Amino acid sequence: MKIKVTTRILDANDRIAEENKKMFKEAGVYVINLMSSPGAGKTSLLERTINAIKDKVKVGVIEGDITGTNDAERIDRLGVPVVQINTEGACHLDANMIADAAKDLPLKDLDLLFIENVGNLVCPAEFKVGEDIKVMILSLTEGDDKPLKYPLMFQESSVLLINKIDLKDLLDVDIEKIKKDAKFLNPNIKIFEVSCKTGQGIEEWTNWLLTSIS
Amino acid sequence: MHEASIAIQLLNIAVAECQKNGYNKIDSIKVIVGRATGVMTDALLFAFNVLKDGTPASEATLIIEEVPVRGICKDCKNEFQSNENYLIFECPNCGNLSIDLISGKELNIIEMEVSNEN
Repeated sequence: MKIKVTTRILDANDRIAEENKKMFKEAGVYVINLMSSPGAGKTSLLERTINAIKDKVKVGVIEGDITGTNDAERIDRLGVPVVQINTEGACHLDANMIADAAKDLPLKDLDLLFIENVGNLVCPAEFKVGEDIKVMILSLTEGDDKPLKYPLMFQESSVLLINKIDLKDLLDVDIEKIKKDAKFLNPNIKIFEVSCKTGQGIEEWTNWLLTSIS
Repeated sequence: MHEASIAIQLLNIAVAECQKNGYNKIDSIKVIVGRATGVMTDALLFAFNVLKDGTPASEATLIIEEVPVRGICKDCKNEFQSNENYLIFECPNCGNLSIDLISGKELNIIEMEVSNEN
């Protein structure tokens, strides 16, 4: 006997992501899913950002890594609540992991939650976790060919932070090409040039961030 | 993509649907896979055939129907179809990369055959 069904196979993750989103909204928390390659500067950006805004908004962080607690320790030193997820091999965070980790955070006391995804320019873009927006970092040392080689993350992200801008005179990287290709893939993407080392551009980013969440 | 986790989800959904309808054996499952999903159909079939063991779908055939990518260029409004198996699309008319997808992102179970085995 035949059964007709119309079920989206990845519905389970999307459904949990929707529940997470509802839970965050009810608690009044704005959620950012932060994604990039390994070493692009996600944790450094969080350190800069949190230091700049922690007197104005209450921030929490979920750290996603395959293994280890290095990043959570760096965030813990800033005095904000942080939970480390170890995916034990998985290359991205999914909605279920976030639902679990959120239980260990004082959501009602937070205004802004950063979810630092596993360093990977591909898979994290495919899985919603319940975020309001996706923000991605591309560091200059990765090269200007990346938007067209890894289009999905650029298409999914609301903000692109081009990090390590302090190195631009040392590298053969065309920043205008990065911007042009990113805008080609996603005309609405908001782009900031930053250096987490020198602090350049961080104020423009945090000003935008504070306006968006208020 | 993550064909093994997709195969697990697919099996979970199919087994639940089978039992909900009062049957205990799945003979076939038909899915549609859009070419813009990044899912490799060979890898999905391989994962399904490994993972189905010990489930009501242990003898089931997975039938995969691929759906081409269809889009409309946001710039010149040209409607086109592509059989490329990747996520980036260029309007064949004007070269623009801003495309509204009409199809190609499907990853759905559409039909299954079930029976009762004593």
